[in-house]
Amino acid sequence: MPRGNLITSESDIAITVDNAGDEDEVSSCYEEHEWGKNRVKGREKEREKKKRGNARKKGASRAGRGDEELEERAERGEKGRRRRKRDNHDGKGRERDEEEQAEEKSGRAAKNKKNLKNERTRKMEQEERDTEEGDAKRKKKNESAKREEKKEDGGKRAVKEKANAVKTKKHKKKVETSSEQESSEEEDVEEEEEEEKEKELRPESLSPEELEKLKEAVDEKKKLIQTLRGKPWPMKKKLSTLRESQEFLEKYEGALGKGKGRRLYAYKVMMTKKWMKFQRDFENFKTACIPWEMKIKEIESHFGSSVASYFIFLRWMYGINMILFGLTFGLVMVPEALMGRPYGSMPRKTVPRADEASAMDFAVLWDFGGYAQYSVLFYGYYNNQRAIGWLKFRMPLSYFLVGVGTVAYSYMVVIRTMARNANESGGGDDNSFNFSWKMFTSWDYLIGNPETADNKFASITTSFKEAILEEQESRKDDNIHLTRFLRVLANFLVMCCLAGSGYLIYFVVRRSQKFALDGLDNHSWWERNEVNMVMSLLGMFCPMLFDVISTLENYHPRIALQWQLGRIFALFLGNLYTFIIALMDEINLKRKEEEIVKFNMTVWEASLYNGTVPENSTAPPVTIHPADVPRGPCWETMVGQEFVRLIISDTMTTYITLLIGDFLRAVLVRFLNYCWCWDLEAGFPSYSEFDVSGNVLGLIFNQGMIWMGAFYAPCLPALNVLRLHVSMYLQCWAVMCCNVPQERVFKASGSNNFYMAMLLVILFLSTLPAIYTIVTIPPSFDCGPFSGKSRMFDVIQETLESDFPAWFSKVFSYASNPGLVLPFLLLMVLAIYYLQSTSKSFKEANVELKKKLQMQNEENKKKSKRAALKAAMDLEEARKAMTQAAEQQSNNNASPQAQKDGGENRSSSQRLHHGKNGRNATPLLTDQEGQLPATRAPVPRTYHHGNHGAPGYLPGIPRQTEARVHRAPSLQRH
Amino acid sequence: MVSPAIALAFLPLVVTLIIRYRYYFVLFYRAFLVRVWQDCATGLSREERAFQYVLTNATPGDPDSILEAFDQWCSKVEFISNIGPKKGKILDRLLMEQSPMTVLELGAHCGYSAVRMARCLPLGARLYSVEMDQRNATIAEKVIRLAGFDDDTVELIVSPSDEVIPRLRSDYGLETVDFVFMDHWKKCYLPDLQLLEGSGLLGKGSMILADNVLFPGAPNFLRYVRKSGLYEWRIHQATLEYIRGIRDGMAELVYQGIK
Repeated sequence: MPRGNLITSESDIAITVDNAGDEDEVSSCYEEHEWGKNRVKGREKEREKKKRGNARKKGASRAGRGDEELEERAERGEKGRRRRKRDNHDGKGRERDEEEQAEEKSGRAAKNKKNLKNERTRKMEQEERDTEEGDAKRKKKNESAKREEKKEDGGKRAVKEKANAVKTKKHKKKVETSSEQESSEEEDVEEEEEEEKEKELRPESLSPEELEKLKEAVDEKKKLIQTLRGKPWPMKKKLSTLRESQEFLEKYEGALGKGKGRRLYAYKVMMTKKWMKFQRDFENFKTACIPWEMKIKEIESHFGSSVASYFIFLRWMYGINMILFGLTFGLVMVPEALMGRPYGSMPRKTVPRADEASAMDFAVLWDFGGYAQYSVLFYGYYNNQRAIGWLKFRMPLSYFLVGVGTVAYSYMVVIRTMARNANESGGGDDNSFNFSWKMFTSWDYLIGNPETADNKFASITTSFKEAILEEQESRKDDNIHLTRFLRVLANFLVMCCLAGSGYLIYFVVRRSQKFALDGLDNHSWWERNEVNMVMSLLGMFCPMLFDVISTLENYHPRIALQWQLGRIFALFLGNLYTFIIALMDEINLKRKEEEIVKFNMTVWEASLYNGTVPENSTAPPVTIHPADVPRGPCWETMVGQEFVRLIISDTMTTYITLLIGDFLRAVLVRFLNYCWCWDLEAGFPSYSEFDVSGNVLGLIFNQGMIWMGAFYAPCLPALNVLRLHVSMYLQCWAVMCCNVPQERVFKASGSNNFYMAMLLVILFLSTLPAIYTIVTIPPSFDCGPFSGKSRMFDVIQETLESDFPAWFSKVFSYASNPGLVLPFLLLMVLAIYYLQSTSKSFKEANVELKKKLQMQNEENKKKSKRAALKAAMDLEEARKAMTQAAEQQSNNNASPQAQKDGGENRSSSQRLHHGKNGRNATPLLTDQEGQLPATRAPVPRTYHHGNHGAPGYLPGIPRQTEARVHRAPSLQRH
Repeated sequence: MVSPAIALAFLPLVVTLIIRYRYYFVLFYRAFLVRVWQDCATGLSREERAFQYVLTNATPGDPDSILEAFDQWCSKVEFISNIGPKKGKILDRLLMEQSPMTVLELGAHCGYSAVRMARCLPLGARLYSVEMDQRNATIAEKVIRLAGFDDDTVELIVSPSDEVIPRLRSDYGLETVDFVFMDHWKKCYLPDLQLLEGSGLLGKGSMILADNVLFPGAPNFLRYVRKSGLYEWRIHQATLEYIRGIRDGMAELVYQGIK
């Protein structure tokens, strides 16, 4: 059969020849080797093995190509091993049978036509591996295990045959032959195979070669299933392919392996499946373990990323507070409660006699007075005993270090998060191909739940809206002077508002001091809680006013949000600092009171002793109940109480606003709408929108108060954890049930670090007063862990002196010498400067590299354009050549050439296509080849002479690989 | 006793509400307070006052002049919820494009929209205008005649719309209605639409234009239209007549019939 007859692309032939060459090489090598070793014995075996190897290899190669004929022919032309040819032939016929069957079953003939480069490469790899395997096997066999393997083979086959209970006599005979004398004549084998061909093709009745092939096909399918996700097919096709492959696997997987091995194999397969399922479940479990992840995702899908960013921020804050809570709870509160002196043992741990009657009243407890005040919740309860309990726990030191540690940890976390966020945002250029990115990469293929898919759909739509809005905003231009005027006006109004609120708070605080001097009992509840109420109300309503004012400015939503945040920030900060100033005044008052009490105390003690015992006696001191002992005002506890009250009132205001402003409004709007004269939902009250900026700032300032007050009230982190936990659920629920998505949706990608920056500022501003009080004001003389010391941080020195060896304190004193500290500081500054400059230079280098990449990309585009033009011309020529070739229709070599050209053109045009479409550097060959003009006969048809009608190929193995294999180098040429 | 400081803290809220809903306060003042005051002061109804103004300021026989006088009165003196000049332009355009031969108007009020529509109709077309209120109907009649449209062009039917629609075919010999303009009670939009569907007056391509679907709003109507699938629909965004800042819309439905 002359080669020229075939209308094939050159590639086929090349590959076949290559393959054949390989095979020959391998086999010849092997032959030499074998013959060198033992000629007589090895002969039949060699033959059989060769045959098997051939068949297997062919199975693999044909798997992709379906041109075994060609191969065969080439072989025949070269060597002319008739015998083997016949074998092959027969084998092939059988194979084809099987293939056809499988093909019919799976019906994926058409589908596999379109295939991908990766599959091609995979196939090539597989081929390589196969040959390697073959080599290895041969060697092994050569060395030792010939006999055994043979026997095993035979045995296996026998078992297999036996499994086929109903068989003809002939079969039985064959079974005998095959099992007993496997290594006899090849005629026998031939006969057997011929018989096998006749048999109906069931997995049980397959010969080893077929089993090998089947195994390969199964592997193929498995790989296909694995890589299916990455293929550029339509979803429908993917699904059908997946289903078919799975069916195929299910059908044939169990058939592989024989006898005992089969069961083992089936077991193995089952275990693999189970393991994979377990892994997937475990992944799901891991996501489920991220707290509130699903809720946040759901919210994100409905309300966009800005609202979700608030909840993520809330969750993050919750985590931090958990750690703060753990520190204070584990190292301060629990040790004191367990090991410290019990309640009632000391004056500072006892409710004073005057308050005892009302100490358990709810109103008092709600204000954190009474028993709540004299408990581990507040600073004043702690004793200044150096070491408590059998653990010798250094309570004052622990208290101090925990106070410092919480602040230090917060700084560390905030700064670390900021740095990480900065890294994340620095990477991509968001400006180019924005919509393409969104279009092609938004979908999450992991979604299996229809509801989640709906949510994802909604979220993608929202993100599109966001992007479109941003585009629009960036193109708008208006009357610039009017806008400027309006912006100035808005800022002026906001300033007025801020000043007003500041004055109001100042006024209220002054008034409250007056009330305090009068004695709180003379005033109503409203007047006593005036400061907190006014602060909360202003914090609630002023942002609304700012929001209304900010509509004047006509900023882009994201910028508007930042302005809004800045304004609310200023408002809250002003409020907080007014509050702190008021507190400072109060602290000073308390300290004056303390002086008086101290003086009175000595007088009282003196009178006590004077009155009862004669002077200079050594009689036992009078026992006085601790509740009766006069005591100082303990300003630290007072500060702690103030902060706790503030937190509580703030929390209550938030929740009540949520319930009234959102929920009640939503209920009214929803249900009154049935009987109202205008449309409540679309019109006047409508549903509320989620106020991201206000909520974020509320959270941040809340945290600031925690940081400020945690030193004086160790219960604050616990309270905050509680509050955050509740508000997480409450707000999630409220958002989903009573809010509508913002009219102007926008994404909050950039604002995350903005929040963090604000948090850092607040952290700094809130630690400032706390540190100031710790450093400058001496602690109260009769309450708290530092009582009796002149400053709170003296506890460090004390510990150094008494608990550490002498040399350590010496070293410490040297280290704290200014002569050492100053150079160290200098060094640190220098290091920071150095790091900063290096990072800057790295950044520049990055930008340069990015530019370079872009340039190269453009260059490539141009090149491919040029190549496409050239290819178009080539295409014309190729067409002409094609027509000529068709006319000649004989074995001239022009037609493969032409086809090769055609293939090249095709590929280049595809390349061009892809270059236009996206930025994938590797050209993907999609199913368009069939539609392009150049492809008149893209698939070189195999000739099926004397065999069966359809071109044979194994199911699951695309037959177009040869064209692709050929194409790869031609692509690289461009 | 709540302390004054706490009361002062509510000031931002009040200011916010006032600023945010200022248009509604203006509307309330003009449409309700002024009206009540004028009713008491003059003893005439609002429509009669409007007619007096039109009579003294407009040229008889000139529809445009009459419309202009109405607009003037409604924006400067008092408030009547006519369709207004801006939304009226949309109405004009739709009528020009459609050039319907039979037009049904539900809710003539004082004849403004009837005049507006009649002047855009092609020759030989007929407008049936339905008004429920007798006093308004007499004024509408006067206004229409003043604009120079005779009985053949505009026919005024004084009756509630839900009574008129079933009788249109039998009493007035209508086969199909090409154009329906709804501007009566917002609650009646939906039942009247269903009546129109039921009576078979709507043919394929018949257009229905409903005013004020966003404010005061006809949510049920819109919901029904969205769900029913019988219509191609869109909403023309606009603002409320004579008052900027309150968003309103007109729903334009094109009857597609049952597919």
